[in-house]
Amino acid sequence: MEPPQKPVAPPALPALPTLKLLDLSNLPPFSKPIKRINDGPDVSRFLKSLAYRDIGIFILQLNHALVPRHQPNTPLPRVFPLPSTNTVSNTQSIRALQQLLEVVESYLDEAPPDPGPRRFGNVSFRKWHGLLEERIDGLLDEGRLGETLKVGNGQAKEEVSSYLLGSFGSSQRLDYGTGHELSFLAFLGGLWKLGFFQDGQQQDGEIEREIVLSVIEPYLRVVRKLILTYTLEPAGSHGVWGLDDHAFMPYIFGSAQLTRPINSNEATPLEGSVRGAPRPADVTKPTAVEDYRKVNMYFSAIGFINDVKKGPFWEHSPILFDISGIKDGWGKINKGMIKMFNAEVLSKFPVVQHFTFGELFSWDLDPEAAEPAQSVHMANQPIVSAAVAGTSGPPPPGSGTGAPWAQATRMPPASSGPGIPYTRAPPGPSSGSLGARPTGRSFGGETTNAQISVTKAPWAKD
Amino acid sequence: MSDLDRAIAQLRSCRPIPESQVREICHKARELLIEEGNVVTVAAPVTICGDIHGQFHDLMELFRVGGDVPDTNYLFMGDFVDRGFYSLETFLLLLCLKVRYPDRMTLIRGNHESRQITTVYGFYDECIRKYGSANVWRYCCDVFDYLALGAIVLGASNTLSTGTEPVDEDTEIEVCDQSGTVMSRFPRPMPRPNSAEGPARSPNGGGGGSGDRTGPPGSGASGSSGGSIGNPTGAVLCVHGGLSPLIDTVDKIRLIDRKQEVPHEGAMCDLLWSDPDEIDGWGLSPRGAGFLFGADIVKIFNHRNDLSLIARAHQLVMEGFKEMFDASIVTVWSAPNYCYRCGNVAAVLELSEDESGTGLFARSNGDVGRSDGGRGVMMEGETFVRNGPARRYRVFQAAPQDSRGMPAKKPVADYFL
Repeated sequence: MEPPQKPVAPPALPALPTLKLLDLSNLPPFSKPIKRINDGPDVSRFLKSLAYRDIGIFILQLNHALVPRHQPNTPLPRVFPLPSTNTVSNTQSIRALQQLLEVVESYLDEAPPDPGPRRFGNVSFRKWHGLLEERIDGLLDEGRLGETLKVGNGQAKEEVSSYLLGSFGSSQRLDYGTGHELSFLAFLGGLWKLGFFQDGQQQDGEIEREIVLSVIEPYLRVVRKLILTYTLEPAGSHGVWGLDDHAFMPYIFGSAQLTRPINSNEATPLEGSVRGAPRPADVTKPTAVEDYRKVNMYFSAIGFINDVKKGPFWEHSPILFDISGIKDGWGKINKGMIKMFNAEVLSKFPVVQHFTFGELFSWDLDPEAAEPAQSVHMANQPIVSAAVAGTSGPPPPGSGTGAPWAQATRMPPASSGPGIPYTRAPPGPSSGSLGARPTGRSFGGETTNAQISVTKAPWAKD
Repeated sequence: MSDLDRAIAQLRSCRPIPESQVREICHKARELLIEEGNVVTVAAPVTICGDIHGQFHDLMELFRVGGDVPDTNYLFMGDFVDRGFYSLETFLLLLCLKVRYPDRMTLIRGNHESRQITTVYGFYDECIRKYGSANVWRYCCDVFDYLALGAIVLGASNTLSTGTEPVDEDTEIEVCDQSGTVMSRFPRPMPRPNSAEGPARSPNGGGGGSGDRTGPPGSGASGSSGGSIGNPTGAVLCVHGGLSPLIDTVDKIRLIDRKQEVPHEGAMCDLLWSDPDEIDGWGLSPRGAGFLFGADIVKIFNHRNDLSLIARAHQLVMEGFKEMFDASIVTVWSAPNYCYRCGNVAAVLELSEDESGTGLFARSNGDVGRSDGGRGVMMEGETFVRNGPARRYRVFQAAPQDSRGMPAKKPVADYFL
């Protein structure tokens, strides 16, 4: 439990960077975002891009907004629980996105799961996704969205639209994973840059909180419904050794909701919990999870795991189980989640290879980015290609263009400016993809229904 | 009690053994496996199992349902590791049993028995977590390189052995639940009246090579019953994934240099990665490795190689097993409620021993009829289907979970320090 807050505010820090708005009077040449990460080593280039910087800024900006706040004249901090699901936002932009998600969700009724024989993933998801593709243009023409996306002769719309379309899983593979979640974040970030959220309360993170609690959580609810309805498989599952089969963001924002309170100009805390927060150990108690899943994103995500998995929690979710043993509060968990997101999502070839780049999220070099350094994380990767080379196997993939383990998990040092400010990823069990070069054949068969957790070749290009 | 027996006892109780012992056992296993061919010959009776994926408690359930080692002769078609919580205990137990009872335990390689795949799908993380270093992972991977690529089951009977309930001679397929209660039975289709010796009834020529279709019924190695359905069946090929466009005979599998990490392409890769599918010929695999292959490919391959059936694993099937292409290929899946959430049941496939007494075919090391491969018939483009062995599927569910104690929380990954 947190002792009563100190009356003296700590020295004010420089304002937390926020995602910059585009200058609408001098718009860049928008274009359809394209794939840039084709090979393992491209990931380290990504980590020096403006897109990476902007994703980092946006995540940290949203994260900071969710941290409980000290309030003047009362010892009780202000906390930011999830609103009840039928709460309608007064902010026009937020309301527009809520409505968009409702419409997208309603497509489920038009594409009921196929009752025919199948292995696992339900082919009707392709129909659902087809409806989305067909109608996305119209969806983005409406109301405030339409006004915002008019800029740049409709080209900005093309960029934003491609991120939204990439947010709901792969219709070809019938799977969903953190790459799709990242795409939704880019959709929101793109709208942010275009000034879409300028109608909201800009002070002290009010609009950011609405984005997370009233758009991202509803988005996650739609995704969970898709996963359940069409039994979408986890994209690139580590099995029990991943954090979660499908999601990452709710663990970041949900832990932020429970950290110790701060004054608005303070940095995000690195340890401690807000008074009245459930204990980290409570995630292993189904009744506690039921109590908190309606108000907290972390517990909401755990609740979904409990819904779909049968078996001891510590066995099917050992990483979350271990995290539940952390003694230093939700601040510590929040800090770790952001580091882990950086290393396991943004720095992993199989995840970010699908990300596309345009003007909103640009492949251009971030002039502030430092040259990535060799990290412990990288050094500790099992050196598969060496093992292969020791036998009569093929040469390591990507030989000639860089060792396969040389992709990723590199971060600019904390002092190098914005971006996710951690200097190194940990040496933990990194199990990274090996970011290999595809072997020349181009794949994309569509005849087989995907199955849950079907193993894909990590060297395969999508 | 020997060290090995002690290790087996410890692993059976789901406790990892010390690193030094892992090293020793992996070394012994390698010495044993190095002597095996790429395609191991296994005599029926045998119980064939599919993917396990570290679901240790479900493996124990499998042994309860299928019979314990060494009482039951087992053939595991790979994918022992990854995704589950107990890949380490699972693989080491199977390996110890292999070393202890080499003739009662056959292990072949799955696509997950690979360095690159285990670093992506969990086994590497698990070893680091359970031992604090990658040594055990390395020892295991070195064993993976020596695992056989396939197996040929010989001497399987056309009739089922008596299970918990008496069984008719004409029963081709029996499905039992985990307590052995018969859930369903399927008789062999009756021969058509005007072609009593039609293709599907064609006797196996025993040692007779490719002439099998022309010989009179009951010739060759002769059947156990002397009736039209009593002939010994062709061999059963067991492989983790499926066929390869580079492999048209079983002998070509024998020529592969298998002692290496699974390559990204080529015959060895395909055997571990391919999937059957409702297509004609070959197709690209959505997995990015291996191929899809259709019924025509399977039927031609089986005919050419005197096979009655291909048993493979590699794909989740909700009912635990799935026969395709007129029962010329079957998928066996042995990980119930896969990944704690799929809600599927698991199965093992039992083939009983042909007790007709000839034994001729069964002990011939699997090369029978493969040297000339029946090419003449192949060229006619026929899709002749051999009369398959009688098959008993034992279907089972996930092991009860309430008895598993909760472990202490381990130190978290460095992200959280």
